[in-house]
Amino acid sequence: MYLSLRNLVKSYDGAVNAVDGINLDIKRGEFVTLLGPSGSGKTTTLMMIAGFEVPNSGEIALDGKDLARSKPYQRNIGVVFQNYALFPHMTAARNVAFPLKMRQVAAVDVKRRVDAALKLVGLEKFAEQHPRQLSGGQQQRVALARGLVFDPDVLLLDEPLGALDRNLREQMQVEIKRIQREVGVTLVYVTHDQTEAMTMSDRIAVFRNGKLEQVGPPLEIYRRPASRFVGEFIGDSNFFMARVDPARPGWIELDGIGPARVAGAGTAAPATGAVDLLVRPERMRLVVPGQADGLNTVEMRVTTLVNYGDSLLAIGTAGDRPLRLRIAGATADALQEGARVTVGWDPRDGHIVPRESLPRA
Amino acid sequence: MPTVGPLPLILAIVVAVFLAAPLFVVVPMSFSTAISFEFPPPGYWLGYYRAFAADETWLIPTANSFVIALGTMAATMLLVIPAAFGFVRYRFTGKGVVNQLLMLPLIVPHLVSALGYYGFLARLQLTGTHLGVIIAHTVLSVPVAFLVICAALKGFDRNLERAAMSAGAGPLRTFLYVTLPVLRPGILVGALFAFLSSFNEAVVAIFIGGRDAATLPKKMFESIRLESDPIIAVVSTLLTGAVLLGVLIPLFFRRRPFHAA
Repeated sequence: MYLSLRNLVKSYDGAVNAVDGINLDIKRGEFVTLLGPSGSGKTTTLMMIAGFEVPNSGEIALDGKDLARSKPYQRNIGVVFQNYALFPHMTAARNVAFPLKMRQVAAVDVKRRVDAALKLVGLEKFAEQHPRQLSGGQQQRVALARGLVFDPDVLLLDEPLGALDRNLREQMQVEIKRIQREVGVTLVYVTHDQTEAMTMSDRIAVFRNGKLEQVGPPLEIYRRPASRFVGEFIGDSNFFMARVDPARPGWIELDGIGPARVAGAGTAAPATGAVDLLVRPERMRLVVPGQADGLNTVEMRVTTLVNYGDSLLAIGTAGDRPLRLRIAGATADALQEGARVTVGWDPRDGHIVPRESLPRA
Repeated sequence: MPTVGPLPLILAIVVAVFLAAPLFVVVPMSFSTAISFEFPPPGYWLGYYRAFAADETWLIPTANSFVIALGTMAATMLLVIPAAFGFVRYRFTGKGVVNQLLMLPLIVPHLVSALGYYGFLARLQLTGTHLGVIIAHTVLSVPVAFLVICAALKGFDRNLERAAMSAGAGPLRTFLYVTLPVLRPGILVGALFAFLSSFNEAVVAIFIGGRDAATLPKKMFESIRLESDPIIAVVSTLLTGAVLLGVLIPLFFRRRPFHAA
């Protein structure tokens, strides 16, 4: 493993662990996103990799060498901050040249590498501008170029798109992914935005209360969350409270609704007792009663319709529980607010997670 | 922008006129041909400027004032910059007390301070020396310079230092290439205040300066008491001009891109 975190613990006050025993292995050239709500320990973890925070215990190893006690400027790690942190008294080119000058790179090479880095982020025409003359997106590109220009072993990005508006954010997601592929740098990305995590990452590490809840490729996390927390944090979700009866394999008893089929490897739960069944709203569909061959069905009362144009979100209830259904816009004619409809899903689209004993904050 | 009536503008003009009014008396008087203070002047010439430029009893205090003000500025910065870093960036017990102590020179009347300095500096045989006045003036200029630099430091984005460090700069190079240049406007303003507070200070200078370290305000005070010589109008005009330059030059430099928007 290239970058490896072992039993990493960090406490600021000695009482609560902001980071509480993180184990994570990152391959060379991999794009890993640390995803979680604020206060879950993802930024603290990033700051420890960068060397700005010292772990109370645990190890950080890069290419086999222990990093934990070395200073930030002794590590060969680039960092991009949410507020860009560009040096306001330097032009874009001098910002990008800064890491090279600190490394005593010869002037000719500095020029060549700065030009290449600015070209990589598409800012070669803005080399002589000061940060305050650049837009937010341009500033973030300069920060990227500064983080990459010295061929870092790892590039860390701390919520880099948080300050940008939505369109620009999507544009920069594509851009960051392209740059990472082009350069092949190992990249650790911190965000609380599940869309960013889904669209860019090779793997996502979901943080919760200083611990890792789940690590895996985006689609696996989306389809097979390890817990209700992960299922709710990433994507839209329906959860049915249910019981598993070991005497009836292939079936599950939904509280207040009745039995439903389950299939495949769709489980992250113990083989018996109280569980939750996750069905994504877009995996649900309208069915004609009696023609639901092989599908699980529930009766839904629609209370609210939200039309997105390309799709339609129906919010309502099944029994006394909330239910959400997302269907393509063209098939939405049958839906009216107040309507009663039959909704079905393929047993393979159901995913069982353990019942959470504590209520979520 | 919400529209406002003409009242704020009128108020601003009244205040500006009030503040500037003495200049309209003093500056013409410095060019006056009258042998004593007289307004409006009976005629204009440059005679008193020539007299000032030729008179050692004025030129030596002028030089003293510059030496003392520059010394005060340097000493104040040496004390205040590290103090501000320590105060803004670290938590320690007694922080509130330290802050109050640093503000004390603002609260104590200069006359009281001057008596204290006199007793203290006399024991060290520093009365009547440049060093003695510099020490006393430095104490007086610390509070304002400290406030100004603390304010600049509180607005400083520490991610800039983190960015510099992750770029390979150790603590010293981070400070020299990033922290100091970014804080430069604040430091310049603090230094300017220190310089001006020393340059304009009369009470302590009269007590401590003696004959050998007499400053311009001390000499002006004596001149007005003994001679009513119009040279004092010349000096006042020059002083005002110098201070104005001192305030305007940083403003001019600040137009260059130091601050992130």
